[in-house]
Amino acid sequence: MKRMTHAISRRSALKFLGAAGGGLALASWTRRGRALAGAQDRAKPLETFTGPGANPHWNSVGPYVTEPQKAPLILLTDRPVQLETPRHYFRTVFTPSEAFYVRWHLGEIPNAVDLGEWKLRVEDNVNKPLAFSLSELMQKFKPASVAAVNQCSGNSRSRLQPRVPGGQWGNGAMGNAMWTGVRLRELLDAAGVKSGSAQVQFEGLDTGAGPKGMGSNRFLKSLDLANAVLDETIVAYLMNGEPLPMLNGFPVRLVVPGYFATYWTKSLSWIRVLETADDNFWMKTAYRIPDTPRGTTTPEDMKAGKVKTVPIERMPVRSFLVSPDGSSKIPAGLGVMLRGMTFSGYGKVVKVEISDDGGSSWRAAELGEDHGAYSFRSWQAAWTPKMAGKYVIAVRATDEKGNVQPDEPVWNAGGYLWNKIEKQELVAGKAN
Amino acid sequence: MKKQRKFALVPLGVMFALAGGLVFAQVRSGSYSSTNAASLGQGAAPAFAADANYDAGPYPSFTPELAEGDGRQEVQSFCATCHSTRYITMQPPLPGATWEAEVTKMMKTYGAPIPEAASKKITAYLQAHYVPENRKE
Repeated sequence: MKRMTHAISRRSALKFLGAAGGGLALASWTRRGRALAGAQDRAKPLETFTGPGANPHWNSVGPYVTEPQKAPLILLTDRPVQLETPRHYFRTVFTPSEAFYVRWHLGEIPNAVDLGEWKLRVEDNVNKPLAFSLSELMQKFKPASVAAVNQCSGNSRSRLQPRVPGGQWGNGAMGNAMWTGVRLRELLDAAGVKSGSAQVQFEGLDTGAGPKGMGSNRFLKSLDLANAVLDETIVAYLMNGEPLPMLNGFPVRLVVPGYFATYWTKSLSWIRVLETADDNFWMKTAYRIPDTPRGTTTPEDMKAGKVKTVPIERMPVRSFLVSPDGSSKIPAGLGVMLRGMTFSGYGKVVKVEISDDGGSSWRAAELGEDHGAYSFRSWQAAWTPKMAGKYVIAVRATDEKGNVQPDEPVWNAGGYLWNKIEKQELVAGKAN
Repeated sequence: MKKQRKFALVPLGVMFALAGGLVFAQVRSGSYSSTNAASLGQGAAPAFAADANYDAGPYPSFTPELAEGDGRQEVQSFCATCHSTRYITMQPPLPGATWEAEVTKMMKTYGAPIPEAASKKITAYLQAHYVPENRKE
């Protein structure tokens, strides 16, 4: 009803102009009234939480906040800090460091590091324990670079039905960067791994207020020494050619290409070679997925204790529509470019397909420049909405191992591994 | 349509004015919301010394309003020992049994030293304000 008030004031304005040819004038005026109503809807703020249904938005619904060295990002939590990257930052294949999402586990995260004191230690089951300053890491080893996606295990957790507790991420707990640093194998070789060792453990500068020996006190992650991913693992001191923001792991962080971010230890300061497999909380209890196809199960099977779990590892194939994002109407007949990105932790994405009927019919999109198997890869497809109406754009990727994104959801207690086909409603308006 | 006939004989000058008016009628301009939108202040760049210390400064707190009610005090003193209470307001409305399991997990799995009476109050508080039937903010 509000739009009537606006319409009346406009009406008096037109009267003043003395409306000859008034038929035309009246028609354009009615149209204007509708536009005004739309504008009022837009002023409505986003809800402050979602659920118990799935989060319907691309990102999570928190406010924008500015943290040190970061652009305004979406707040999940402030202590420890968890921030999500807004959708539009994925228009570029490399996510700007200042816009890169943030996820810490324990409350006491580093604010400052004195590089006069700080060392990266390689210790425990090695022949010669070592400690490197940042300048030694930069000078003693040949720098290696890899473009790799860092994605939180719980990215898109807010899609799960029923919802599960945890960080209620939308799709923005991911990013892609060019990481440069020292190859982990070179550090291990320098220290000399004792034969019969089982795993290598990583710890950063973060600690928690919880009691000693508990997961709330230290965050520790480990990988098998025999795991081939260690051959590609880097201790990175550069992110997109710049020092890492403190919140993203200054001075160095682990980069484990293809693996979920839980292994990418931030402010990495201890590398420990272990004789036996790590049974700390963050390996034995947390970050585990059902040992089932796609890691999916049901709340009933979980409750019945039927589900065997294994540590989470590689990221399943995903693809996203970044723009248009549905925030604007598209005039019918106007050709637009659908753009987005894709990745898989199992190897190169070889095909991206798009649909404008919600996934009934598909056609191939064009893939952008190849930055390596572990990087985001851009895709685009020209699209023209022929008639006014609602369209549901769907995007589906296939990787070189033949993994195709499914249209079925996953569910597990941790809220991990979401990779269902993404859909976006776009509205085409009349162009005359 | 009546109007059209009524103004059929207006002078040429007014016709020109109307042409301008027609363009005007096809757009909407100068519309601003009457309420203040959320905004973010900019932070100033710090001054650095050329030493080996790299300091990002403190991380800001964004403490949420928790629902008023019995048990809020216990939530603020015990839960906030390890993490901000945004860990509560961030969650979707969760079933009462899930909140109970969360409180148990914090104590048994993470070792939070919460006395039994306080933990019961915390669970009751979460169930009174953050389940699908009663969640408001």
